[in-house]
This record gives sequence, structure tokens and C-alpha cells, in this order.
Amino acid sequence: MRGELHYDAVVIGAGTAGLVAGVRLAEGGARVCVLSKGVGSTHLAPGTIDVLGYGPGRVSSPGAALEEFAAAHPEHPYALLGADAVAEAVRWFGECVAAGPLAGYRYVGGLEHNVLLPTAVGALRPSALVPETMAAGDASSALGHVCLVGTRALRDFHASLCASNLARAGVTARSVEVEIETDRADQNALGLSRQFDDPAWRAAFAARLALKLQADERVGLPAMLGIRDPHGVWSDLEHRLGRPVFEIPTLPPSVPGMRVYEILRSALRRAGGRLVLGAEVVSAERSGSRVVSVATRSAGHDARYAAPWFVLAAGGFGSGAIELDSRWATHERVFGLPLQGVPAVDQPRFVGDYLAEQPMARVGVAVDSQLRATGAENVLVAGAALPGAVPWREGSGEGIALASGSHAAQMVLAGAGAPAGAAA
Amino acid sequence: MATLSTEVLVIGGGATGAGVAWDAALRGFDVVLVDRADLAEGTSGRFHGLLHSGGRYAVKDPRAAEECIAENRALKTISPDSIEDIGGFFVTTPFDDPAYADVFAKGCRDTGVDCEEVDPAQALREEPLLNPAISRAFRVPDANIDVWKTVWAMARGIQQRGGRVLPYHEVVAVHRSGDQVTGARVRGAATGEEIDIEARVTVNASGAWAGAVADMAGIEGVRVLPGRGIMIAMNHRLVNTCVNRCQMPTDGDIIVPIRTVCVIGTTDVNTDDPDDHTVLQTEVDAMLDDGEKLVPGFRQARALRVWTGVRPLFEDSKAADTDSRDVTRAHALLDHAERDGVQGFVTITGGKLTTFRLMAEETMNAVSKHLGDERPCTTKTEPLPGSEEGATYRLGERLGRKEADLAGEQLICECEMVPRRKLEQAIERRATTNLDDIRRLLRLAMGPCQGGFCIYRATGILHGLDGLTAEQADESLLHFLRERWKGVWPILYGDQLRQARLDEWIFHGVLDVEHLPAAHAQAEAPAETVAR
Repeated sequence: MRGELHYDAVVIGAGTAGLVAGVRLAEGGARVCVLSKGVGSTHLAPGTIDVLGYGPGRVSSPGAALEEFAAAHPEHPYALLGADAVAEAVRWFGECVAAGPLAGYRYVGGLEHNVLLPTAVGALRPSALVPETMAAGDASSALGHVCLVGTRALRDFHASLCASNLARAGVTARSVEVEIETDRADQNALGLSRQFDDPAWRAAFAARLALKLQADERVGLPAMLGIRDPHGVWSDLEHRLGRPVFEIPTLPPSVPGMRVYEILRSALRRAGGRLVLGAEVVSAERSGSRVVSVATRSAGHDARYAAPWFVLAAGGFGSGAIELDSRWATHERVFGLPLQGVPAVDQPRFVGDYLAEQPMARVGVAVDSQLRATGAENVLVAGAALPGAVPWREGSGEGIALASGSHAAQMVLAGAGAPAGAAA
Repeated sequence: MATLSTEVLVIGGGATGAGVAWDAALRGFDVVLVDRADLAEGTSGRFHGLLHSGGRYAVKDPRAAEECIAENRALKTISPDSIEDIGGFFVTTPFDDPAYADVFAKGCRDTGVDCEEVDPAQALREEPLLNPAISRAFRVPDANIDVWKTVWAMARGIQQRGGRVLPYHEVVAVHRSGDQVTGARVRGAATGEEIDIEARVTVNASGAWAGAVADMAGIEGVRVLPGRGIMIAMNHRLVNTCVNRCQMPTDGDIIVPIRTVCVIGTTDVNTDDPDDHTVLQTEVDAMLDDGEKLVPGFRQARALRVWTGVRPLFEDSKAADTDSRDVTRAHALLDHAERDGVQGFVTITGGKLTTFRLMAEETMNAVSKHLGDERPCTTKTEPLPGSEEGATYRLGERLGRKEADLAGEQLICECEMVPRRKLEQAIERRATTNLDDIRRLLRLAMGPCQGGFCIYRATGILHGLDGLTAEQADESLLHFLRERWKGVWPILYGDQLRQARLDEWIFHGVLDVEHLPAAHAQAEAPAETVAR
């Protein structure tokens, strides 16, 4: 093992929560290192900022609903973070995108009002802040005529099904198919997004599509409108087609999610933070109730990272950071921290009704009111590692990630330098 | 009411019933095959996939062993397309009585089951994950069989010869005129429409449900005790061959590699209800412990799905009136003319998947007598549709085809390598809106992600091809998710829980299927499925 590396804070996990914590720490002047086993949840999520979609009825204004929701769910991260912290973090994210590496690409919306964006199956999903490239699909107010565009080349989007379900929801929608030639049959949205980045290819596509459109139709396409220059691709298509164009998120890998990753990664680098991918934390050194350092194992070499503060943003069951083993015992795998929300031994972990809430759904790392891990006073917990939420059903994943990542950064910055003997 | 008339009506579309109908069609009889659900959706489709060599029964039930080895050879000849001829081992682990190995070897010799003792070191070279402490190893000609492929091949063959196959047609009455059974009334699940089927001979091949069907014919005492067993599919082929513990048959002592997974089985618990699919946590735990005995580290592998099947264990309350030999045999053929004085009705039950062809042959021999037209059986030599070339299935076939042509065919299910054209053909041929039917037919969504990626794709394709309404497509999708969850939630741990969470993000976080309008319609209306 090489020598120990010293930072003001070490963040574990490179999903939205971990990257946001890293960026905001670096922006606050801390020397920060983000360690991650791999890329995080950004690549799987739709790329929208969902704050509160269902509580459990559909929420029209997340800003207005947050306080009541938090009061009804006292163990939810929102109850600990508070509505103001959520609003601040969402605002910061919008600015971060605008200042980011994807020229012109920005998010629109806010906490006042959830937009309703069509999903790839044609349901309408509530979201607070969304990429500009999706905004024209908002069905929360009259949408007019919509044409969904599919292509046989992309098995991950079915325009006809999407249109039929939208029609049931009262949207005047139809679908068309456009030929796209590819050199391999199993193309995904990422592969096609690279073709959309090519101006000549895009122009030819737009010309073929234009022939199939009727006057006054806005156009919905699967979320594949460029990975390198999405604003340029989208505005060029709107210009060429002479009408609003919007993206619809579909199966992973998520192109809009990868844009979020790129924006946050770039912000981290610009602010002087470090990101180490392929660095799974395999052990932690502790001194009493404090974590002193963590060790990673990666292909090149093993390394040890010491810091006065650690942010645990490694995710929950979905990432493997929290595990339920075959003997039905749960573990937090980075620090071995106690968990919260685990059903008692004699209680069901899961139930047979698919759409019922699963008893294991709200398991997370036990935290105090400041989101410090129980039993490790200098570990702050953020994102999907937190207990008390069912983000994929609530439509709250990004709100929790942004607010808890920001909160962790503020906690460190407020107390930075305090612990003696830890700085290099 | 619609009416059909036929020579032979077969009730029950499992391997046995389909085998009887196939045998009848080959003998040139007019035949109708009905099932209350999909073909091979009951017991036949709910086993581990083992084509027995007979080794398992060599000591306990020599006659069954003899039948198994004969049928093993016959099925490899007539249905190679659905069989992967991987062979098998019986191994003595530290948990087994070491004295059994010699008894086993003698049993195999006596019953004609091919069995060769191999050096345990050689067995471990071939099966590197196997318990290194095995002390004896015997090679046998076990294989795996994709029973859905076999049954649907027979269904195609029946139809090609003018027979009719009606899945999702439940028998609601068995018609009787005096001492003669004259057919049955069936109700189509999709439309509720009833059909009267007039038949010269009716065959009750409904397995664990045979008692209930016999009751409908007014015949008493056909008692079938359903024996429930669980099986768990693991996400890899942890073994390359069918591995059995060399001991008297017990729970959790077989691991069968089949296609991309391996299946451990099974348990045996008596139940009153053949539709009882309860999975107990204690059974799952015991099964995983049994897995550890054969493959140390078994618990670290991903469990994909658990299911239960019910064996039909026949017990004749009129045993004294029949040949006692039939009572002890694994399968039971009841000629109700002899047994009850009722003409035109035959029950075949019990038995095992491996011997379905033999059961069908014996059944049709009896039926031929009833028809007064004894024609010879040819199922032992006539290949099933799709098996004419005689080559057994080889793992990697689908991958090989894909790699040869990356630009050609889109894969819809990457886990099981199901190409788009195959899916479209299956949807058209089956005229089904039930994605679970398609799953059995193509193995769609049977791999590690359990449909996380392919089910949205398949729903979209189904909607486009079949001209479904959005309501029907949504219901197909949600029906599939609910059915899938039944087999998934009892074994969610380790990396499969990670997978389940990813799937939840896809279906809820990305697609929001919970808020499709159809999500409110909880009615489990069976989808329309008529083979054509």
C-alpha cells in the first residue's frame, strides 16, 4: 500500500448525492476526494429532479406539500432536512447546470409546480425541475397535439404504446416510426445520442421526420438527443422542425442522467475536488466513535484515505452498499454502521403483493437529526443510504440526494478544521 | 353454444396430456386437447428440468429406473431439440451414507441404467465448484429438458395432423349418458364462451387435478394426493452436469443446469390443494443449506426465482379391485370400464416427466381398444416437429447465432438471448396477450434481470403487433410484474435484491407503471390465448 492520502473530507459514492457533496465541499474550499466503486445512479435515473411526486396522491406543488409530507413521515430525510434546505439545494443545482460544461443546457421549473412528463410507457410522471429538452412534454397544462417518434432501431422506446396511453390520459397523441440505420442491431439511446451529436446526420434525420409530421404537432422523442451537445442538438431540431421538441426518458443507460453526471463531475474538477472511480472502499480504520481513514482496493494499487470527515453516499440495497445476506441479516458494508427500518426477525421482509409497500423498502443507515451516522460521529449520510424514504415510489430521489448531499457539505464546512491532528 | 366432435378428447395439457394427444394424432385419430390454463403451466412446467437417467430410482424403485432409462433414450431420439445432453453425476458427499454408493452401483447394474464410477478427482475437474470432499462419483446419462419446448412441439405436431389444441379452456362438466362418458363442456377463459365437445373416448390426464375431473364424471375414489415441492433457479450454471447426491432420494439433493441457470430441487410436502403454491421461508433456507452441501458457497450465488410444483401421487381407494402392480407403480392408468363399468373414460395420473411418453403410449393402447381400432404406437421413433435433424440443444446456440450477425437481429431479452423476430413470431402464433405465456414459450425474462429490461420492450412490441388497446397492453405488463413478484420476493437477498431494486427504479422511477390508468384495474382477467 502507498502512503496515506489526507483530505479535509472523503466522500464515498459518485451518485448524485456524493457528487453534490463533493462539489459543494470543494466550492467551499475543502480539499475533497470522492471515492467510488463505479459510476452511480445517475446513469439509471431519468435525469429529472424529482422532489416529491406522490405523497401518496399526485403532488402538484412539491414546495407547498413538503412540510405536510415531512410532518406525516417524521423519519423521512425531508423531515430531518427541512423544506428550505431542499429548495436551496434545488436552486443550487439549476445554477450548477447553467455554469456547466454542456453549453446552453439548462434545467427549468422549480418547487412551485410539478410538471407532468410522459414516461416511455405513456404514464404521466410528476417532476420539479427538468432538462429544457424535456419541458415541452409537460402535460400539466394543455399540450395540444403530440406526435411521438419511435424507431425500430431503438428497442427501448415504443412510441405507439406511449401514444396510446397518453391518449387515455387525455392528450391528443399519435405515433410515427422513422428509419434509423445502425451498424448493430442492439443500439441503445447512448449509441444513438452520439449520432444526434453529428450535425449532418441530425439534419438528414430531421428531414426524414419532417415529412411525417402534421401542422401544429409537437414532437416527443426518446431521450437520445445528444450526449456531447444536448442543447445544440435539441435547439437545432426545434429549429429544423419548426415546433417544440421534447425528450422522453427511457430504459438505462440514461442519456440525460449521464449528462447530470458529466455536469457534476466537471463542477467537482473545476472546484479542485478529486474523483477516484474503481476505488471500492474495503475497510475503515476507526478510533472510538470516529472513522480515521478508509482503504480502497483498485486495479492499480491499494490506497488509504484519511480525513476528519466522511460522507457516506454509497447508496442502499440498489448499489450493494447495504446488503441483505442469504441468512436474512442486513449489513452496511462500508463502515459496518447500524441500520434503521429493518423489519424485526419475526416480521415479513417482503410481501407477495407487488404494488404494496415492501417492509424492507425504508431501510437505511441509522442517523441522528443532523444526518450523522449513529455510532460514527464524523460520518454524514446522504442519498439513497438514508432511511425512511421509498424514493422510487415517492418520486423524491433527486430531492433527497441534492438536499442531503448539500447538507453534508455544509456540516463539514461549518465544522471543518475542528478535529485536531487529522489534517495533513 | 359451439360444439365440437372428436374421437379422443384429452383433458390436461401437461406433458402427459399433450403426449396422449400427440400419440393419438400419430395413430391417425381425431383429437382435441384442452387445458384450463396454458400448456405445461401446471406440474409439467414446474419441475427442475431433469431428464432422469433412472439413477435416482435405481435402489428405491427399480421398475421406475428401468422405465426412466428406456424413456431417457427414447426422448433423446425423438425430442433432441428440447434436450441438452449434459450427463450427470451421483456423488457421495460427507453428508451421505458411504455404504449407499455400492448399493447404488448394483441398483444401476440391475436396472440397466448406464453408470460408470469415476475417480472423484476427475469428477472435480469436470465440476470444479462441487464439494471437494466427495468420496465417490458415478457418471450417468442424465440430461436437461425444456418441457415447454417439448410440449409445444407436440402441440404443433397435433395441429399439423388436424388435431385441435385449446389452452385456457377449462372443463366445467363431464358429460355422461348412462354408463358412457360422452365428452365434456369447456369454458374459454378469454371470452367465457362454452363449447360442448363430444368424444368417443375422454382421457383424464389432469395430473394432480385428476380426482376432481373424475368426480365430474361421477366416478368415485380417484384420489390424487398432491405433493408440493419447491425449486430455486440460480443465476449461473454452478455445475455443468446434473449433480445428484448419492443417497436415498431426499430433499434438495439435485442441481440441474438448464439453459443459463441451474435449478436446485426439491422438497415434498403433502397438501390438500394442488393449486397451493405457498413457499415457506424454512423451505428456502433448507434448500440453500442443501445447496451448500453440494456446492460450497451456494448461498453467495444469486437466487433468481422460486416456484412450487405439485406431484400427483396416486392412491386408489379401489386398489383391491385393480391389479395390485398398478398401485405401487409410479404412474397409474385407470380404465374406468374395467374399474367402474363406465365406458369411454380413461384416467392417467402419477408418473414423472421423464416417462410421459410411455404413459401416453399405455393410455392410447387402452383408448384404441375402446375405439375398437388398435393401431400401433409410433411415438418412440417419430421425431417431434423441430427435432427432425436429430441434434440435441447446445448451450451457446443462441449466442453463436447472435455473434455471427451483430447487425442482423435485435435481442429483446439479453439474458436469454431472445431475438425480436422470435418474439414477434411467438406473439403471432399464439395470439396471446399474456407475457407469461410468451415467457414459457421463449424463456423470455427467465434470466438474472427477471424481465427488468425486456418486459417493457415486449409490451411495446405486443401492443404494436396485436393491435391491442393500451388498457390491454398495460394489463399484460402489470399482470407479468405481479406474477413475477410471486416467484421473486421469497428469495430476495444478496445481489438479486440489488437487481430487484434496479427493476423497481425502472418500472416505478423511470416508467411509473403504478400510475398507468390500468393500474387501478386489479382484475386478473386471463388474457386471450388460443393456439392457432
